[in-house]
Amino acid sequence: MSAVNHTKRHTTSEFDLPELSVQEKIIDSFKRNWQIYLMLAPMVVYFLVFAYRPMLGLVIAFKDFSLFKGIWGSPWVGLEHFHTLFEDPFFWRAVKNTVIISGFSLLFAFPAPIILALMFNEIRHQGFKRLAQTIAYLPHFISIVIVAGIVVNFFAPSGIVNIILTKLGMAEPTYFLTKPEWFRSIFIGSNIWKEAGFESIIYLAAITGVSPSLYESAKVDGATRFQMMYLITLPCILPTILIMLIIRIGNLLEVSFEYVILLYQPATYETADVITTWIYRQGLQNSNYDVATAAGVFNAVVAFALVITANQISKRLSKTSLW
Amino acid sequence: MTNVKLEKVVKRYGAVEVVHGVDLEVQAGEFVVLVGPSGCGKSTILRMIAGLEEISGGQVSIGDRVVNRVAPKDRDVAMVFQNYALYPHLSVEQNIGFGLKLRGFDKDARQELVHEASDILGLTDYLDRRPADLSGGQRQRVAMGRAIVRDPAVFLFDEPLSNLDAKLRNKMRAEIKRLHSRLGTTSIYVTHDQVEAMTLADRIAILRDGEVEQVGTPIEIFSNPANAFVAGFMGSPPMNILPAQVSGDKKAAQLVLDSETSIDLPGLADVAAQHVNVQMGLRPEIIQLVAPGDKEKPRAFVEVDLVEPLGMESLVHAKLCGHEIVIKAPGVVTLEAGSKVGVTFADEDCHLFDGDKGKRLELMVTS
Ligand SMILES: Nc1ncnc2c1ncn2[C@@H]1O[C@H](COP(=O)(O)OP(=O)(O)OP(=O)(O)O)[C@@H](O)[C@H]1O
Ligand SMILES: [Mg+2]
Repeated sequence: MSAVNHTKRHTTSEFDLPELSVQEKIIDSFKRNWQIYLMLAPMVVYFLVFAYRPMLGLVIAFKDFSLFKGIWGSPWVGLEHFHTLFEDPFFWRAVKNTVIISGFSLLFAFPAPIILALMFNEIRHQGFKRLAQTIAYLPHFISIVIVAGIVVNFFAPSGIVNIILTKLGMAEPTYFLTKPEWFRSIFIGSNIWKEAGFESIIYLAAITGVSPSLYESAKVDGATRFQMMYLITLPCILPTILIMLIIRIGNLLEVSFEYVILLYQPATYETADVITTWIYRQGLQNSNYDVATAAGVFNAVVAFALVITANQISKRLSKTSLW
Repeated sequence: MTNVKLEKVVKRYGAVEVVHGVDLEVQAGEFVVLVGPSGCGKSTILRMIAGLEEISGGQVSIGDRVVNRVAPKDRDVAMVFQNYALYPHLSVEQNIGFGLKLRGFDKDARQELVHEASDILGLTDYLDRRPADLSGGQRQRVAMGRAIVRDPAVFLFDEPLSNLDAKLRNKMRAEIKRLHSRLGTTSIYVTHDQVEAMTLADRIAILRDGEVEQVGTPIEIFSNPANAFVAGFMGSPPMNILPAQVSGDKKAAQLVLDSETSIDLPGLADVAAQHVNVQMGLRPEIIQLVAPGDKEKPRAFVEVDLVEPLGMESLVHAKLCGHEIVIKAPGVVTLEAGSKVGVTFADEDCHLFDGDKGKRLELMVTS
């Protein structure tokens, strides 16, 4: 009786697959999906080399760093550099400028590509639409250095802007780029000109995904084109808009550093100096590596908090989130 | 109540003409089904009535008004789309009330009408849900609700049931029928499913390649198909159509299928005068199998190919003079593949169509 049972059990277990250990599972998965891992590898290497390894250097924010002693040889000083930082009025000015420029960018530069995409979508003539889109994309491919050159040229006392303004009756030409009160408008405005067209591609793609029968149904129901735009198109691409907004908020403190460097001058530091440019001057020009790093750490922590908050809010409100 | 009239309606896409001068009149309160094979222009015609496609020629009138240049919203029609076209970001209630909102109904009036419609369709419990959280049948009902809530002059349906499974389709079909008898709104319904067409329609319009082949009540179409195409399209399984020759003189004309098989048909005389090549149509249902011992004499013999039992009846696939035919026989049929069996049918059940165009030939039976 028991012998029969035994053989029975034995035969069934013969057909069971053997239990795999974790290690075997990993090897198994690797063998099966090696192409995918291969494609992933460059990104992993990139992040290790350019993002994670340099992060080790963050420890100098907590050290009295000296080039001669090296990172690990320098003595610890705890939060001293953060005290220095928070007591520096110029650092706070940079924080304030960053927040203001980012805030206005969010307000003006974020909706710009959405509006542009909605407008492109309304163009009926296919040829004209393609032409208009291409023209709008082009500035994106111009190097930022050249854009800065164009802007400096246009807004110079003898530049086209001043020529037009004097023709329109303005008495004296203004040297816009030396006036702190003009910096933000010029900076954000030229950024919109450069990027809005290109960024609109994402929204146009989202609009393409909206089922045409929604519009037809609305047409039969009596919607005007404008109503279709804000009652159908806009809500349907809202998930895309929210994802872009989260990413944008995550990068809120990342004001385009090279562009500021290219456009600002000591006369406009008052409104133009942002955290990253302040770090650049502290760290590389004044060799205060440790304080500059502390500012960098501060920047990163705030940015991280911003992404998490934005993602959380979006998840709550619209069920759309990055993770 | 409003009638709809199409006169010589033409639709061209660039140089390609896809609808060639369609004439169709839908009476007020009537339920007309447009049916035809894929690509024959059903949707195009419906969309021209809705105003979603421009008309390249001819005239469309709704009520007493020519609407060729009238915008969709001013035609007082409501359309139900194949994919339902529900707004994903709106609740069921908002979806149903969308058209009312656009037409400036205030909140209370809207709510009342929406609740009335959702009552009719059994959607009251789902008003707060989003379309994504509904089943296919419920979504379909929301789409219907959106149409009926506006109380339009004409309903247009473009294959509204084709995304549902067979069972649900039968159920919704009955609901649409009930809804129509309750509301009595003029309806034009597009489908390629001939069962839907037969069951729903007051009248059916059969289309082929952008032309109307026949318009008539389901029974007319079924029993007097205007041509071989209509005959082959309606019915499931469709009518068997076989080539044949009319031979003999006026007195003793016969239908010759091949050298061994010929069939006597009364009234062939007139046909014989004008045609030699014809097509014979026999519905699967009217062909009877004749057992060897029966007193009835078989009119022809078929070679059995395959028997498909359906429970209450069986489909016998067989060859009649080298042509495949299907016979629907009651009950369970036990026939060996390859065996020969006799078949018979009544004279009046035999349809004749001319050989090349497939036009119906009336048999002059003088009784
Ligand atoms: N935008 C268009 N441009 C060119 N040809 C078109 C266009 N829309 C439809 N057609 C053609 O018009 C014909 C009729 O199309 P329609 O959509 O009315 O067919 P249908 O009868 O509704 O078919 P189905 O049962 O598959 O929905 C088809 O041959 C199709 O290829
Ligand atoms: Mg269609």
